[in-house]
Amino acid sequence: MKRRQFLTTASALGATLALPAFSKRAAASTTVSVLLPPWSTLPKDMADRFTSQTGFGLDNQTLGWDDIHAKIVTSMVAKTAPADATEVDWSWVGQFGAAEWYQPLDGKIDAGLIADLPTAKIFTFDGKLMALPYNNDFRILIYNRAHLQQAGVKDAPKTPDELLDAARKIKAAKVIDYPIGLPFSATEGASTAWYLLTKAFGGDLFDDKFEPLFVSPDSAGYKAMAFQMQALKEGLIDPASTGLKDVDIQELFKAGKITFDIAGWAGNIAVYSDASKSKVAKDVAAALMPSTTGKSRTFGLPGAVGIPASAKNPEAALAFAKWMLQPENQIESYLTLGNLPTRTSVLEKLNADGKLYEGDKLLQQAAVVEPLFAQGTPGWYPQFSSAVATALNQAAKGQATVDQAVKQIADGAKAAQQ
Amino acid sequence: MSHFEQTKPAPGTRHDVWLGLGFAIPIIVIMGGLVFVPLASTLWDSLFRIDPMRPGTPFVGLQNYAGFLTDPAIRQGWYNTFVYVVLAVILETVGGLGAALLLSRIKYGRRWLLAALVLPWCLPPVVNAIAWLWIYNPSYGLLNGALHAMGLIDQNIVWFNSRSTALFLVTVVHVWRMMPLTAIILLAALQSIPQDLYEAAKLDGAGPIKCFRMITLPLIAGGLAIALSQSTVFALNLFDEAWVLAGPSLDTRTVIIQVYMSAFQNLHFSQGMALSVLTMIVSLIISALYVMRVYRETSYD
Repeated sequence: MKRRQFLTTASALGATLALPAFSKRAAASTTVSVLLPPWSTLPKDMADRFTSQTGFGLDNQTLGWDDIHAKIVTSMVAKTAPADATEVDWSWVGQFGAAEWYQPLDGKIDAGLIADLPTAKIFTFDGKLMALPYNNDFRILIYNRAHLQQAGVKDAPKTPDELLDAARKIKAAKVIDYPIGLPFSATEGASTAWYLLTKAFGGDLFDDKFEPLFVSPDSAGYKAMAFQMQALKEGLIDPASTGLKDVDIQELFKAGKITFDIAGWAGNIAVYSDASKSKVAKDVAAALMPSTTGKSRTFGLPGAVGIPASAKNPEAALAFAKWMLQPENQIESYLTLGNLPTRTSVLEKLNADGKLYEGDKLLQQAAVVEPLFAQGTPGWYPQFSSAVATALNQAAKGQATVDQAVKQIADGAKAAQQ
Repeated sequence: MSHFEQTKPAPGTRHDVWLGLGFAIPIIVIMGGLVFVPLASTLWDSLFRIDPMRPGTPFVGLQNYAGFLTDPAIRQGWYNTFVYVVLAVILETVGGLGAALLLSRIKYGRRWLLAALVLPWCLPPVVNAIAWLWIYNPSYGLLNGALHAMGLIDQNIVWFNSRSTALFLVTVVHVWRMMPLTAIILLAALQSIPQDLYEAAKLDGAGPIKCFRMITLPLIAGGLAIALSQSTVFALNLFDEAWVLAGPSLDTRTVIIQVYMSAFQNLHFSQGMALSVLTMIVSLIISALYVMRVYRETSYD
């Protein structure tokens, strides 16, 4: 009898302990976990709407952009998914694609939707679509209209030289101390600003065989860096920018401490023009990226949602990725989080409704967005980008000349490609 | 009690062996699982090419190690790390010893002073570094503000634009955090010295400096070796302070930051493993030198 009682008690205890595990597993099958950066984490209203519309629960996980990369790498090496759906930045496509860490989405997305997503090709690796772009980041010149007026500058600059002249006038008129905002810390934001200026000077970083095109003094990349160093030397850029990231530049712009956010994030115009978040909401304006050739150029740095190969709930993750691209959700994500829609039709609708601040300029710039690498982002991009940021940081500190810095970057590119 | 005495086995019996083994098993499992197995695995894997972007994991021998000689970023990382180690060990030892001597002489409120001293050590390193990041900020930082107020500078200084200043300032943050540990180790050593020795020395006419050199220093040598070893190992593994204050900037980049960048940014895992193995070997060699030196110094005891 005692033994029977013991067995009964033990069985009941076992069942009691196991029950939560089973119920947890059952709940997990209807809950999609998503790992996104702070600027893409859905507010509660949107999360609730996702659940009511799709039937899946939403487990929002937020991490800094760099930390997401580290978490994905460590998880995938351990053959576990960090979440059912994660951020996939354009710059990670080469690495994650080569490692085959993400599920191909070909055949799972409507062709009409893909056609409406011009940046989808940036997330194609080896012919396979590995993520769906939801955040249409590209760079555009953002400036403070009032500063220009106070210095007697009538129009937004159209060339790099005009940009320098305008900055000199603003400084001479003592409107502000440092009119140009550019980051020079050894971070990704410094690298992307140089890539953008290389295009502004009418060139590219590499040829079709990934041979560097920026070493010669008459190359666009060389001129772009010389432009940056000249602005720094003339006191048009804060010397403290050697420690500033792109997000710090954005804070300076919002505080009215700089005139030009040269490598401005297109979606940030929504934040800059929001009086609750910016002191210069009435004065913010956008212009096409200055160019030496007369044709404005820019490149796309979109963010996407991808599904790790080992995701537990791939169907729910796919539902989330598709839901993020629905017009009403893209619009709300723009208005609340500043994520510019990736669908052309949504951008046009926002502009037609008058909800896209500086919409005409944004659409004009969006029309000329190109990928940074025509061949697709290579797997060695993060290593190359780190070499660029390091060299720029040293040049800005006066520890390397432009000549030495571009040669250092070329050596870094060569080492990264080995 | 008597029953226990009757059944207690004689020393050296099988029972003692099993008991000893039982006590040792937890540490064997913990050290084996968390130190020796990962160490052996890392050593082995560092001889292969492990890169998730490339197919296969071919054996490459010492190729991952050879690459370090030619990479200027890694050479700079080693240089920076050695500067941190030298500066940190000197500052932590001198400062820690000073603080310990001071605390050992204080009779009232020592516990409060001790609590204040260990506070930086208790804080997470990232929190410490962020606080110092504000202090060093060129626009609104306390350091520039204080120097302005004292009339020593007339325009703000961007501290991290100078390589040597940047290295020193990162070291200061690390020392700020780690010096309390050195002070506590040395304070414990100081408190174990019998006061009779000092009284006898005074009677023989020894002054404070001679007392320190002939009594204090030799008798805290064991503690000093531990303090020096931990200072060296922690400085060799410096990451948080340099990363928070200057990111991956080459001026302040340590070898451990380079390990992180190789493995987790560039996905060259085996290169990261090889670099971490080298760092561990350097740590072991320096620590062994300290311990052997101190053992020689104190063996006459």
